[in-house]
Parts: sequence; structure tokens; C-alpha cells
Amino acid sequence: MGIDAEYRQLVNVRSARRAAFHAGQRAILPSLPGSAAWGLISGVAMVKGGLAVPWAITMSLLVYGASAQLAALPLIAAGAPLWVIVATGFITNLRFVIYSAALRPHFANEPFRVRAVLGFFMTDFTFTLFMRRAQAGTLPETDRDAWFAGVCSNNWLTWQTCAITGIVAASTVPTQWGLEFTGTLALAALVGPSLNVRPALVGAVFAGVVALLSHGLPFRLGLFCAAIVGIIAASVTDAFRAPPAGAPA
Amino acid sequence: MTEPVTGIALAVVIVGLALTTLVTRTSFLLAGSRLKLGHRIEVALRYAPVCTLSAIIVPDVLMHGGTWDLSPLNPRLIGVVAAGLWLCVSRNIVGCLAAGLLAFTLARLYL
Repeated sequence: MGIDAEYRQLVNVRSARRAAFHAGQRAILPSLPGSAAWGLISGVAMVKGGLAVPWAITMSLLVYGASAQLAALPLIAAGAPLWVIVATGFITNLRFVIYSAALRPHFANEPFRVRAVLGFFMTDFTFTLFMRRAQAGTLPETDRDAWFAGVCSNNWLTWQTCAITGIVAASTVPTQWGLEFTGTLALAALVGPSLNVRPALVGAVFAGVVALLSHGLPFRLGLFCAAIVGIIAASVTDAFRAPPAGAPA
Repeated sequence: MTEPVTGIALAVVIVGLALTTLVTRTSFLLAGSRLKLGHRIEVALRYAPVCTLSAIIVPDVLMHGGTWDLSPLNPRLIGVVAAGLWLCVSRNIVGCLAAGLLAFTLARLYL
């Protein structure tokens, strides 16, 4: 192969990756209002919870995990022991371990740094979108890492922009409108279509009921327990469902 | 327990929280192809999004100020039901968000 052909091939690879990245950026667009509202309200909550503006911005940029940040806030305000605050954040984030395990087979052959970066930027929204596309078979054939990077970059930009806006403009953002409900709705809209099979429905009901019952548990353990119980219930239901002959697993 | 965490201690907390996000999110991803999970686990993980999000969404909708709100007039419940109905008719997420927010806001203001 001549230098010219090699060069042309390289350009093709690059443009294919860029196209996948842009496709990912577009794929997350419908969910961005949810991320935006959630980011904004998290930003406001951090400042109203007593954090000074520079600290709140630092936390938003470094932690990039709304639920852990919001769980930590009242503990910071109350002067709880440092290990209690970090442990609460860790347990709130334990669901990401499950997400990470679910994503692993899709990125197992990517270089270490790609997996590390994609992992850090993965959130409830981006993970759910990826898994839904994976199950519907509508992920791009190649350059999935570039596609997911596109998804995550748009989500990150939106969330951080809105969180920092909320931090800086905390006193002018109306909190009585229940804007954070947009985030809940966007998650529901992402996950709703997956409820069309019985194991998913059973899992969702179990997870929801356990989450309600376990709300008072320390360290936000309820969320993780509910997810685990739901997943077990879904798997058991799945095991009892006779698969049609020749169906892909 | 009454003085808020500030200064160096707060910096430690923020770095600690950032590490919990990094460690949990990258955990299994960094194991790469060296790790083989059983078929049973792979099947279970397919239901991870729906179960985890349900564990997040249900308390968001049915709890208010730390207590249960199971009333059919709960504005969040009305909003989520409206969004769900929209999703059954059309797969348009933005329309679903708008329908849910509209129903939620109307219920919040007038019920």
C-alpha cells in the first residue's frame, strides 16, 4: 500500500470516528433538558446547603455526581466526621459499580485510558441511553467508544454549565417550581420503553418498593439495596421465561 | 456536630467524594477483557438500568419531605403518569417531558 493510500485510509478512520462522536452528541439531545434541570437544581442546592461558591464549583467539577453531592451536603453542613461523609458518597455511588460491570463487555478491547475516561464521564443518563441502544441493536457497529464519548461530552457540558449557573445565581433560581422534577421525568422517559418485557417490569416494581421501604437506612444504603433486589427479581423472572428457540441470548 | 466542615477538611471531603465517583464508575471497566462474568450475571446486568432507575425514580415521585405521599393527587405522580401515557402514544422524549411537566405544574397549582 502506497503512502497516499495509507494516508487516505487514516483520514477515513478519523472522519468515521468524528461522525460517531457527533452521532453520540445527537443521541443524548432529547434527554438534555433533564440533565440541565437537574444540574441547575443541584447547583442551587449546594449553595443553599451552605457551601461557598468556589467550593461548590470545585465540587461540581471534581465529583460530577449529583446524588452523591446532594447526599453529602447536609452532612457537611452538620459537621459530620469526614469518613461518614465520604462513606455516604461511596454508597450512593455504588450503583455505578453495576453500571461499570454492564458496560465492560462493550469496551473490553479499548485501551486502559479510554476505559478510564469513559468510566469517569458515565452517568445515570448516559449509561441508560447506551444500554437501551445496545439492547435495541441500534448502537453503531464500530467506534462505539467515540459514540459514547459524544454522548457523555454533551451530557457533561450541559450538566456543568447548568450546575455552575445554579451555583452563581442560586438566589435568583426559583426552587418552588419543582424544576428538579424534569430530571426525574427524563430518567423515566429513558427507562420507560424498557418496561415492555415482564422481567424488567417485575424488577422495576421490586426495586421501587424496596427503595420506598428502605428510605431511612443510614449512608443511603436503600438505593443500592433496592437496585440489587430489583435485579435479582428480574433475573429470577427471566430464568422462568422459556426463551424462543434460536433467539439470541 | 454543629460546626460545618470547612477549609482543609472540606477539601479532603471533596477529593474523597471525587475518588468515590472515579473508583465506582471505572471499577469493572478497568478490568477489561481479563475478567469473564458468568452468563447469569450478564443476563442480570441487562436489567441494571431499569432496576436502578426505578430505585431512583419511585422515591422521587412518591416521597416528599422524607415521608410517603401515595395520594392519587400527588402532583409528581400525576406528572409521571402523564409522561408515561405520552410515551405510550409517541416515542418523542421532549414531548413526554413537556406533557409530564405540564400535568405536574397544573396539579401542583390547582389540586
